[in-house]
Amino acid sequence: MATPLKRIRGLGAAHHGTETFWRQRLTAVANVPLLIFLIWFVVSHVGASYDKVRECLANPIVAVLMLALIWSAAIHMRIGLREIIEDYVHTKMCKTVSLMAVTFFAALVGLASTLAILKISFGS
Amino acid sequence: MVQFTLPRNSKITKGKAWNPPAKGAEPGRWREYRIYRFDPETGENPRVDTYWVDMNDCGPMILDALLWIKNKIDPTLTFRRSCREGVCGSCSMNIDGTNTLACTMHAEEARGAAIAVYPLPHMPVIKDLVPDMTQFYAQHREIEPWLKTDSPTPQKEWRQSHEDREKLDGLYECILCACCSTACPSYWWNGDRYLGPAILLQANRWVEDSRDERTGERLDDLEDPFRLYRCHTILNCTKACPKGLNPAAAIANLKRKMVERT
Repeated sequence: MATPLKRIRGLGAAHHGTETFWRQRLTAVANVPLLIFLIWFVVSHVGASYDKVRECLANPIVAVLMLALIWSAAIHMRIGLREIIEDYVHTKMCKTVSLMAVTFFAALVGLASTLAILKISFGS
Repeated sequence: MVQFTLPRNSKITKGKAWNPPAKGAEPGRWREYRIYRFDPETGENPRVDTYWVDMNDCGPMILDALLWIKNKIDPTLTFRRSCREGVCGSCSMNIDGTNTLACTMHAEEARGAAIAVYPLPHMPVIKDLVPDMTQFYAQHREIEPWLKTDSPTPQKEWRQSHEDREKLDGLYECILCACCSTACPSYWWNGDRYLGPAILLQANRWVEDSRDERTGERLDDLEDPFRLYRCHTILNCTKACPKGLNPAAAIANLKRKMVERT
């Protein structure tokens, strides 16, 4: 039977986590102005034609900001989902599969959205 | 998965009403207490017993009421207590829905007419209001809560400026009652890996100590997605602390130090 100290020491400290913590804070800060920009963009184009919206999205400044938002949000979402799974899912197999799934999901959302913006920007 | 419901043998059943006051009793004289009871030797599920405390014959604090019940009504009621003045941390329990010390909480502070008294949440119960603190104490041992130095020991004492000593204010007062840790959902779900607010406040106390020479080593041992970073800034710890300390600020300071050294 393991002693209490052995149990709480487990496999020892991982010696990482600070980078994730900092990245989460950084993306949170970045998301604030980027989301305000997104809301402003959507509201200001209410009723605009499809071609007009495409044209505005193709503007390099708009496209760069949109790409920044997509990646900032995707990274933030991936960290957040991982935290939730680590908090609540304790079954080894289920936890591993869930962690893989959220990583794939965040990457998929990020890549698909990036492709959409790039296609619009390059006018294809 | 996290268990959101109690296991079958932990479900609380209706208990006994011990000393209901007679009809026509003086209004406001008898205060109702609903107290969690569990005796592992009986093999029965925990129950909630109801007692009425004669406020004309009893001191004002919750601990006074518990002692009154134990002395006059039910000697089997089990709880920890020692200093009766908020220094030892023994009588920490969940009173009226909040983790606090029975000795420093006034019965009049309770919101409900009946005062519910339970053991600290999410800890194994040894008996009645006595939780098993083994893991909590092991976690305290793990952060090595003593001065660690490499310089030759001075002839007299390790000196400290007034300014450096002031940095320990708000940290050294912690009495390890575990009210904060057992109020923290992260500690409920991952208490085996997350150190919890009380222990992290203690860790910060040694990181902040100007005389300690192993700051880096202490931070190394804390840098872990679970040990430190399971804190999600919920702030239940700060709300619960009966000593008015701020474990959340102590944890934030540790995180700041971690970022500083990257």
